[in-house]
Amino acid sequence: MDWNLLGLSFVTVFISELGDKSQLAAIALSGRSSSLRAVFLGSTAALILASFLGVLLGDGLSQFFPTRWVKIAAALGFAVMAIRLLFFRENEVDELGDEAIAPE
Amino acid sequence: MTISPLSAPVSTPQPAEPSAPDLTPIPSQPLSSKPTWKEELGIFASTFITIFLAELGDKTQLTTLFMSAQSDTPWIVFTGAALALVATSLVGVLLGRWLAKHISPRTLEISAGLLLLVMSALLVADVIKS
Repeated sequence: MDWNLLGLSFVTVFISELGDKSQLAAIALSGRSSSLRAVFLGSTAALILASFLGVLLGDGLSQFFPTRWVKIAAALGFAVMAIRLLFFRENEVDELGDEAIAPE
Repeated sequence: MTISPLSAPVSTPQPAEPSAPDLTPIPSQPLSSKPTWKEELGIFASTFITIFLAELGDKTQLTTLFMSAQSDTPWIVFTGAALALVATSLVGVLLGRWLAKHISPRTLEISAGLLLLVMSALLVADVIKS
């Protein structure tokens, strides 16, 4: 086990992902969501799967997933969530205060 | 909400018994404010899909990292990267929760919505530029 390499890749990815859009999305989504656990699991699973595909396919990734279209799809997803937050607020859950939400 | 490790004072060495499971899963009886299983699945799915797509579009730094390490032992790099990603999303989720405690729900919703809109715009700008 090469602990140096493990640590190096951890630190590199941690720093480069800190404040990146996926983390910002996790912040934004978990702030209003009624289930922290679901947001955490969803974002973790997505990130791990994405990097797993990166390892697996390497350069071939852009052939399977054309970057342009993927980005557009992500932009649409963010926009939908934003509009839902801004204009279609979900009612009661927010008013109850966070004590009602079980800590995970 | 802090995540301190279990701070049970271990005075006598009795390792045979694992500490009592505090975090018993919540039984399925619906409390009014708790999200149902289906709602949770919905939140999970929308989070997963959006972040997955956003990351795929953003894979360059990871790809370069993996390419550079591919000669040797890529799975170690993957393990490190995966741990880091778990850590960053944990930080993100906890930060979001902390903000939710200190900012009024409506303000939070508006700023979260604006944040997501900005990210969406940035992605679109990326596509147009490239």
